[in-house]
Amino acid sequence: MRVLPIKPASFAGFLLLGVLPVIAQDFVDVEAERRAATQPPLEESSSVAPATSYTGIQPYSGSTTVAQPPIEATTPITGTDSGSLMLRVQQLEADVRQLNGLLEEATQALRLLEAQSLERYVDLDRRLAAGSDAVVEGGAGSADAVMAPIASEAPTAGREVDAQEGEEAAYRAAYELVREREFDDAVEAFTEFLANFPFGRYAPNAHYWLGELYLVLDPPDPELARQNFKLLLDQYPADPKVPDALYKLGRVQFIKGNRQRSREYLDEVIREYPSHAAAQLARQFLLENF
Amino acid sequence: MIARRWSILFVLLLASAARGELQIEINQGVENPTPIAVVPFAWQGVGSAPEDVAQIVDSDLARSGQFSPVSRRDMLSYPTRESELFFRDWRAISAEYVLIGRVSVGSQARIDFQVFDTTRQEAVADGTVTGPVTELRMLAHRVSDSVYETLTGIPGAFATRLLYVSVTRNPDGKDFYRLTLADADGRRPIVLLEGRDPILSPAWSPNGTEVAYVSFETSRPAIYRQNLRTGEREQLTNFKGLNNSPAWSPDGNSMALVLSKDGNPDVYLLNLKSRALTRLTRHFAIDTEPTWMPDGKSLLFTSDRGGRPQIYRYDLRTQKIERVTFEGPYNARARVAQDGRNVALVHQRNGRYHIAVFDLVTDRLTVLTETSLDESPSIAPNGSIVLYATKRGEDSILGAVAVDGGVRFSLPARQGSVQEPAWSPYVTP
Repeated sequence: MRVLPIKPASFAGFLLLGVLPVIAQDFVDVEAERRAATQPPLEESSSVAPATSYTGIQPYSGSTTVAQPPIEATTPITGTDSGSLMLRVQQLEADVRQLNGLLEEATQALRLLEAQSLERYVDLDRRLAAGSDAVVEGGAGSADAVMAPIASEAPTAGREVDAQEGEEAAYRAAYELVREREFDDAVEAFTEFLANFPFGRYAPNAHYWLGELYLVLDPPDPELARQNFKLLLDQYPADPKVPDALYKLGRVQFIKGNRQRSREYLDEVIREYPSHAAAQLARQFLLENF
Repeated sequence: MIARRWSILFVLLLASAARGELQIEINQGVENPTPIAVVPFAWQGVGSAPEDVAQIVDSDLARSGQFSPVSRRDMLSYPTRESELFFRDWRAISAEYVLIGRVSVGSQARIDFQVFDTTRQEAVADGTVTGPVTELRMLAHRVSDSVYETLTGIPGAFATRLLYVSVTRNPDGKDFYRLTLADADGRRPIVLLEGRDPILSPAWSPNGTEVAYVSFETSRPAIYRQNLRTGEREQLTNFKGLNNSPAWSPDGNSMALVLSKDGNPDVYLLNLKSRALTRLTRHFAIDTEPTWMPDGKSLLFTSDRGGRPQIYRYDLRTQKIERVTFEGPYNARARVAQDGRNVALVHQRNGRYHIAVFDLVTDRLTVLTETSLDESPSIAPNGSIVLYATKRGEDSILGAVAVDGGVRFSLPARQGSVQEPAWSPYVTP
């Protein structure tokens, strides 16, 4: 209890002051108190409210409503009973506190579970929408690294750049290698693709896939993955894959041991694209790793 | 009643208080601090300069951990104007930036300064600060704030002040308490209140002109407010039982505090104008340590209504209470940064008490300190540093850690212990 020097005193105060006047004092009704409070000097009044002013127990108005123990304030506690009654009240209060804590924690756990199941649903939904060809299950013994193949395969709609002749075919061919799990060849194909069509319509997608691929190669190359994701971010800041790239950068930095950078990226996705699936994944990742 | 000797020493009456003075030791900086040369400033006044302004700025930047100032001995020249500046001289000693300036004193003190980027060979900042001659140190800190903001993008918090309680042991073996006000660099300490009875929970008014605290000078704890300019002091509460944890509302009109007059500790709101007292929490558990959200619409407080101390939020409009922290068995003594997002608190992990930051947006808690008996966090007004009290041997000292965990320094007292730090808000110059 060193940290909170007030606490020991508080507890002591509670025990000492609380013993007798607690019932009368603890449930003074609010209005009476406000009326009293408007009188100027804040000198200590004999703040024991007469029992007649007692108008009822105020329920605790927290998010989880717990009624206070029903104490009949009109019933005077007298004689030798008061000691044992006080003990029982204190025991009940301790129990209520503990139950209240459990309830709060259970509610919170439920809230988190709901968020997680929503996230799983969103993820599943996205996979289905992207069609079977976008689903790359964990590859090369590194299921986690390819978790959630976020890139929907279709290249960005509405980009003004038209595909150059042969570009789409070359991109499809490279992508086909990903599907066939020929990751080394796919890296080569996408690299060649970018050399031939550096400013093409599919260039951001190619960078994205290179980033993904460098994470599933054996051995993985997080630095090259990072460079590709970063390039996508810097050169195509309006590309729809940016949130995914941010999330992936968060993971890459985590792999590289840069927890701080990792957090910054994950925070950025959550902040900038709060309803995007990548933000859900980022939240999940933060929960599990930080 | 035992007669107690109490003295309230006002700002102007005070000559020295070396015993309350803090020293600063930098424990950890960022990995690659930026080299900057702070050239001695030109003095344009009678006699010798009362303060070495460049040295003050130099120390501020070094203390931030983000800069490594170049030693004066390594400087090839001491330019004070742009025309005297040769960039190759500074690149030769690997200074990325050069700060030059001039101090003049008339009816007011005035500091002109410029910062140059030695690679791009151009000025990146220039400015002028003016103020009372007696506040030359504070003006120097304002130069530091400006330079720091230009080069890091984050406002500096050098031109601010600290409030803390220093405790020394008298020869008779009894503790002696001093409520002390000092510049953020620990210099110019002024004792506001001293005596044999404990002083707790110092807090700032939002405009930085008043402080509140708990003193045991009468037979029981009571809350006082004290004006830093006039020295005027007033006792605000005198209830039976606990009177503690004063927390000024952001608009300055009311004060949250903890009273146990109705049986056990609950949070109350005192209107400072009408003196109306409103009870905010009503629970047989202990509700304590209120602190305001910067928008003034809700309060965070510590409560053990869930069996163990955790942080809860009280919404003043709806009067709803919700639990905020869930991680770990103990989270207490919250202080909210000005961004309304980061909350510094005391967090227990493996039986040890650490300072942690809880992010209200992502609900994530990050432990910042490795020491084990940390308490009383207070956040710098720029939100970048958490000041707290911790133990070193028998004494308690102040520690400081950047919110991102990067920079650490400690501020032990020259003598005795120091505890309960409160970092001032920005004060309008």
